[in-house]
Amino acid sequence: MSSLSKAEKSYIQSSLLSKPPLRADGRALYDFRAVALETGVAPLANGSARINIGRNAHDGGGGTEILAAVKLEVETVADGEGVDGGRVVGTVSCSPAAYPHLPSGALDDLQHDLTSVLHDTVSYLEKKSWLLNLDVIVLSDDGNVCDALFMAARAALWDTKVPRTRSVEYQAKKAGNNAEGNRDIEMDEEGKSGFDTRITKKVTDFELPDYWDEGEILDGRNIWPICVTLNLLPPVFFLDAALQEESSIPLRLHLMFSLPPSEKPRLQTFRLLGPSGVDVPLIKSLIKEGEVHARSIWTALDAKLKDEDIRRNQKARDRFLHR
Amino acid sequence: MAQNYDRRRINGPEDSYPPIFEEEEEDTLSWNIAKPREGRSPQDIRPIFLQPGLINQANGSAYIETDKTKIACAVYGPRQSKTTTFSENGRLNVEVKFSPFSCARRKAPLRDAEDRSLAVSIHQAVLSSVRLELLPKSTIDVFITIIENDGIEGCISSGTIAASAALADAGIEVLGLVASCSAAALGDEIWLDPTEKEARKSEGTLILACMPALGIVTNVWQSGRMTVEKATQCLDLCQERCTDIHAVVAQSLLETSKAS
Repeated sequence: MSSLSKAEKSYIQSSLLSKPPLRADGRALYDFRAVALETGVAPLANGSARINIGRNAHDGGGGTEILAAVKLEVETVADGEGVDGGRVVGTVSCSPAAYPHLPSGALDDLQHDLTSVLHDTVSYLEKKSWLLNLDVIVLSDDGNVCDALFMAARAALWDTKVPRTRSVEYQAKKAGNNAEGNRDIEMDEEGKSGFDTRITKKVTDFELPDYWDEGEILDGRNIWPICVTLNLLPPVFFLDAALQEESSIPLRLHLMFSLPPSEKPRLQTFRLLGPSGVDVPLIKSLIKEGEVHARSIWTALDAKLKDEDIRRNQKARDRFLHR
Repeated sequence: MAQNYDRRRINGPEDSYPPIFEEEEEDTLSWNIAKPREGRSPQDIRPIFLQPGLINQANGSAYIETDKTKIACAVYGPRQSKTTTFSENGRLNVEVKFSPFSCARRKAPLRDAEDRSLAVSIHQAVLSSVRLELLPKSTIDVFITIIENDGIEGCISSGTIAASAALADAGIEVLGLVASCSAAALGDEIWLDPTEKEARKSEGTLILACMPALGIVTNVWQSGRMTVEKATQCLDLCQERCTDIHAVVAQSLLETSKAS
């Protein structure tokens, strides 16, 4: 992204290729910078998360900062837009503050590219259905946006709660009754799960017994993918590139993995970016290596998310009691 | 949206829906696991018709037709970059446009005729084949028009082949011709060059672009869910088929240059 001179690029490249490899911040090739994650940061969203990669420990500034939020909407299927069973729309917006050097046209293009990656990856999954809007904002970019994007998205989706629904129908009473109480409300008393709004035969609408902060967690929250970006500088590759490193390498490989413990690992999206090429055997070995690194990110993220769940529910309740 | 509005056109109503046709019985692909592919064998691709040099005013051009996918591609340049800043390497611009009648649903001109993700993918596929270091301060423009669309996978792979052929037709120095092939995973099988319906049935698709002459992969674009083994299997099958496609492209370029 940022413009580097040829000398700077070659300096970074030659230090990465030296033995042992050297990076400007002293990390090893496969080391990540510190990742900070917090869920439930947007009170009005159904689920949200904020992530920071590589924040400076001394002054608390810098790093790649991303905010993700999930907002649920109800839409009508008959209009053509909705899909039976619900749908997911992912959007990425990049704050101009994160890319002060980019003109607005280039910012739109970047936004569009990130959106298409996110949307294509998460949206692979009729009357009324939920529309899940996943909105991600890049607040500042210090390299490795893609990995951070998917971590934030996964955290926000993990955090999402879907309100329970109850189907209702308003109908006129049959003839023979007197005028009073002319309209009757019929209810389906079962509290069904949020995502299942496929309504029984005659019911035309539904209501929400929950408040906005209650509800059930999203089904299958374990399968949302994470991304690992391999920055290639043949014959080596490294993870979590900082901004300068990112602009001095010829090729990047984005691998989105979904690694639920019960199933086989799945590749969700897999893309090659940059003005250079590789051969097939190398790609194959890179996928294998990528899977190993993706698994360690996955495990760490899972542990953190479970921790966040406890912090926000159990501990908050305890604190409320002992206040 | 306001600036994307052309008052000289007949714009039609703001909201409109495509007519819904009653789907014919044979039209719906009634495929399920354990049934063989209809019409061709799994590793077959659709026949390719490629004609370089169809657009006279362009420096180079190509028209490609694979069954229902029809794409025209024109290359202009290399010409002087409009920007004043010095650039050591040449620039390669790729623009993909859908004609309004190319899809089942109308693509309104200006508003949604342009697809950037397609352009990005094709750009990535041809970029490393072009010797841009020989063309400082200059720009090459590649314009791709999709006349008929039968699945986004087919569009990307055919568009890549057309773009590479058009670049060669324009006499721009390239390291090798880029061939591209797509694959879809359905159950245990892998079907190459899927149509739109087949791709919709599949769990995941993969598009590979490579220079078969050099054995270098220039673009991989996988979406949907796939196991790692399946993805590597797709890579192998696509690469094999790309070699055949390369022969088709080379043959048609040779014939055109002999004829002129």
